[in-house]
Amino acid sequence: MRIGTVKESYIADAALFDTKVQRGWMFALLAGLLLLPFFTGQYASYLVCLVLINIVSTAGLNILTGFTGLVSLGQAAFMGVGAYTVALMEIKLGTPFLLNLLVAGGLAAVIGIVVGLPSLRVKGLYLAIATIAASVILHFVFANWTSVTGGVSGLSMPPASLFGFEFIQPDQVYWIIMPITVIMLFGAANLFRTRIGRAFIAIRDRDISAEVLGIRLLRYKLLSFAISSFYAGVAGGLWAYFFRVVTPESFPLTMSIFFLAAIIVGGMGSILGSVLGAVFMTMVPEVLKMMVGVLSPIWPDAVAVMSPVRIIVFGGLIIIFLIFEPDGLAEIWRNIRRFFHLWPFKT
Amino acid sequence: MSILKVAKRATGALLAAGLITGAAQASDKKDIVLGGSIPLTGVFAFAGVGIHAGITDSVKIINDAGGIEGHKLVYVPEDTAYKVDASVAAYNKITSQHDVNLYYGDSTAFSKTISPELDRSGKTLMTGASFASELNDPEKYPNIFIPGPTYVDMVGILMKHIANEKPGAKVGLVHSETEFGRDPVEGAKATAKELGLDLNLVISTAPGGVDVSTEVLKMRRARPDYVIFHGYVLSPIPEFIGQARSMGLDTKFMGTFWSMDNQMVGKMGEIADGFMGVMPYNYYYTEAENAPMLEKIRSMRDTYQSNAYMQGFFSTIMMAEAARNVIKAGKELNGPNLHEGLEAIKDFDTGGLMGIPVTVKGNSVPIGRVYQYDLSKKQMVPSSDWIRLD
Repeated sequence: MRIGTVKESYIADAALFDTKVQRGWMFALLAGLLLLPFFTGQYASYLVCLVLINIVSTAGLNILTGFTGLVSLGQAAFMGVGAYTVALMEIKLGTPFLLNLLVAGGLAAVIGIVVGLPSLRVKGLYLAIATIAASVILHFVFANWTSVTGGVSGLSMPPASLFGFEFIQPDQVYWIIMPITVIMLFGAANLFRTRIGRAFIAIRDRDISAEVLGIRLLRYKLLSFAISSFYAGVAGGLWAYFFRVVTPESFPLTMSIFFLAAIIVGGMGSILGSVLGAVFMTMVPEVLKMMVGVLSPIWPDAVAVMSPVRIIVFGGLIIIFLIFEPDGLAEIWRNIRRFFHLWPFKT
Repeated sequence: MSILKVAKRATGALLAAGLITGAAQASDKKDIVLGGSIPLTGVFAFAGVGIHAGITDSVKIINDAGGIEGHKLVYVPEDTAYKVDASVAAYNKITSQHDVNLYYGDSTAFSKTISPELDRSGKTLMTGASFASELNDPEKYPNIFIPGPTYVDMVGILMKHIANEKPGAKVGLVHSETEFGRDPVEGAKATAKELGLDLNLVISTAPGGVDVSTEVLKMRRARPDYVIFHGYVLSPIPEFIGQARSMGLDTKFMGTFWSMDNQMVGKMGEIADGFMGVMPYNYYYTEAENAPMLEKIRSMRDTYQSNAYMQGFFSTIMMAEAARNVIKAGKELNGPNLHEGLEAIKDFDTGGLMGIPVTVKGNSVPIGRVYQYDLSKKQMVPSSDWIRLD
């Protein structure tokens, strides 16, 4: 049973990690992330990078949808904006990758603000439709502004480089993706310790009440769109450096649905939920694939026969999680923690 | 012991020794791995399942015939759901677990994405479901092979047929608003000009869209003699044909490879009658002389196999032939040598998969034949001889 966590100040109460045990675990996690590429092959590094990119984008969407209550199905299109920006800057200007990523995030944020304008008038499903419309427009631009985006063929870009070293393989690109993901997650978590973050939560809980409290809806709703799109833009930029080919078909609407599903499964209004949701949505299909692969030596056609079953199992798992824990994986995680905090007493 | 018995035992011992030595030699030869990012689920699953079956069967036939110069061919597939990130994950997974020399990829986007990695590793020759003309560039994509004509070539074959059938004909091109759909548009314009055809209609639609009434009105105004569909599997082709017929248009409708599966065309019902298109391979049911491979396929599977099956099958035997050429030349199996082995394929007899001997040109095999659907037979039947583009 955990004892001795009395907080004597507001700052201590609002701390991200309020116990030594938590700080210890976080230190271990960071150490694990630093050591990971030395103990994994290209395949594992690839998956980790993919998960990290998805975490950044999911965290961005969670800021908008989970914390501010504004539903968006434009996350993939914003990622596309970021990816094209990075690709163009890398191809045409050859500027440093960090600058490219910042500009990618910035441009996505500006477009996010424009797309967010209808949020002042509409909410819920209506806003979702508005963001789908924006997504369709952006895809049209990607596919038809051929002189800039390369049209349907898209753009092939060189890898990111630093002092002559090129980040080509997954275990090399990891050193770009991992630190940026960690920084952005800390940024997102800290956001909700500030006035801005609390304003987002107030708007989500009741926007009229928030306005009565002095929160300017126009500013904060658009700010939420901007921050969320910034995250998507950076994630798209990382995606571009990872795959080095950007086409209009790289960021379909189903990808936006993927991120929405990730925050629902992981836990709306929780940064931990963003992480768990992205990990779940990215890794469970791979784990199920591995399980099918195990059958291959004894059943040669297992891949063909079991692949559709795998999809059904994945869908079933999402439904089961939602039925038994509507607050998502983050809540399951909190329950587990609570159990150990109070052990041997019952929660 | 009689001399006969001694001789028998000695022969038996020699045979056994020979077999053991032979087996040891065979097992000494390293397996050749054919990896596959195969879309067994997702929007392209209708083709992925057929491709997988085609590759599986051709690998079995190759191995039953002694492998590739004694090397066993091992097929390692992974499902990708037709998503680029899943395809790359599958590639990374398979290449981290096996020494992969041959690979089948599921899309143009994947081919373009993985191409730098193929160049970097220098170990693998890749083919796949894409016939994108962009990939037909040995300088830019030295490790990629297109198992048939490119989409531009396909439209070229159809236009060549049209020019023979009706010189100066009016032609329309209806394509989907995708990378796949847009691929042959510019090439079609150039080919039409070259062949003296009047390409008087180019329409793009959403893939799978069903409300095509506006587009059919455009078609009615242009009154083309032929309309080529590209970038679709089925829908909206039946909607186009149905509405055009109800408006009294006598236009002939054509498709490219992925809309040429016999069963798929049959699903159009009565309006399928006369539907034409280009197919690089013989159909499962084709009765041709000197077609032992088609006979083998029919003996292995007694029900109809799709055009995707034939594509997977053909891809595998071509890559196996490239590997065979490399081994025969005593060279190391790697990307550049495999491409050389591929380029060395001249007048190759595919056992009836293609109706004429195959020669690789660039990264592709620009051969095809025009077929037409015969409603009474419920089959696509040849409407031209084999056409080779030079």
